[in-house]
Amino acid sequence: MIHAVFWLVQDLLTVLTDGAVRVPEIFLLSLAYHLLEREREVGIPSIWTAFLGGLLWDLRWVGFPGFYALVYVVVVMTVLWAWNLLPAQGRTPLVVFLLFWAVQLFPAVLAVLVLYRGEGGESLFLMQQGYAVPISLLSAFYYCQRKKDKNA
Amino acid sequence: MDRRLTLAWVHGLAALALGFFLLGASLNFGAVKDVADFVANVLAVPEYPAVFVRETLRDIYTWTRDRTDLKQRLSELERENARLRIVSSVIVAEQIRAELAARTEEARVTLRDPLSWWNECRIDKGTNEGITVGLPVFQNGFLAGRVSVVGAFSSWVELLTSPALMIPVVVEETRELGIVVGDGSGAVLLSYIPEGHGVEAGMNVSTALVSELLPPGIPIGVIADGGSSSGTGYMTYRVSPGASISTLYTVSILKHPRNR
Repeated sequence: MIHAVFWLVQDLLTVLTDGAVRVPEIFLLSLAYHLLEREREVGIPSIWTAFLGGLLWDLRWVGFPGFYALVYVVVVMTVLWAWNLLPAQGRTPLVVFLLFWAVQLFPAVLAVLVLYRGEGGESLFLMQQGYAVPISLLSAFYYCQRKKDKNA
Repeated sequence: MDRRLTLAWVHGLAALALGFFLLGASLNFGAVKDVADFVANVLAVPEYPAVFVRETLRDIYTWTRDRTDLKQRLSELERENARLRIVSSVIVAEQIRAELAARTEEARVTLRDPLSWWNECRIDKGTNEGITVGLPVFQNGFLAGRVSVVGAFSSWVELLTSPALMIPVVVEETRELGIVVGDGSGAVLLSYIPEGHGVEAGMNVSTALVSELLPPGIPIGVIADGGSSSGTGYMTYRVSPGASISTLYTVSILKHPRNR
């Protein structure tokens, strides 16, 4: 349910900006955050939530289904794989930030390469990264704080 | 590997396969457009606040930009209007100057009888030059007198210093009305000004719009002293005329427009 809210927030932000800017991948970030927090319980639901969220995004903003559905599933699977690959002592705040940033970066790069090639997508990408990096930093900081509080 | 993780991989691969299938199928499937329209219609409800905010912000931006453009246009028009006013004023001033030049007749003083030195003088212009009785006579731009008798080739001018010439005037600073009259001995007096009405030395005196004989606003001179009371509640002031009555050699006569 919380992911639906984040999807809607991302959608509303896109409506608000009228497509003039690429909004941050809030929906995917919420999925990644959830995955890092409870990876073993939420792995499979996260994959299908990412698929549905991507599919809905395709139908709402791209016009043909499949592109964002695939991208979102790939991102979630990558996060799941990377997180499980790392030993507990390797899950540092920097790694958390890099994962969150990758979540923002990967769909944006693919969108520039596939959907917006030669249509000023590069400037939109740079603009998006301008606020995607701080959002990733904040999310990583929040995640680490919560983890610390839980372990205390 | 953890069984749950393996299962997640299986689900992930299944989702990817479904995604590829949808991607491939959507390119050859016309119903996708209808589904996309349906999704857009359903989402239009929760998206309405964002649309409203966006449109409001756009309206505010458009209004602000239009207002800025209008203000800029207004200031441009004001500047243009100011320039046109200056041009118009110059044209009007030129017309007035040309009209006054056409109406002004220069005349030489040909006779000044010692017995009536401060009362009258004769000039070398008469009816042949369009001179009529009552026309104002100037010297140095100030009223010097009025034409009183007209001949064919010469005319007589009643001077400002004559006791026979009484001219309704106004004190420009206080708008007090009075009468300017000569005393026959070279002095010019301003009479019938009520006491305590603030008339002081240095104030300007010009013809008033209470007489058809002379046009209003013709400068006469300045009040020369603090005045003296006549004992009836009215003051009499000495006026220093702008025209030099004692050195009249040439004068200007402002002719009536119909005599141009």
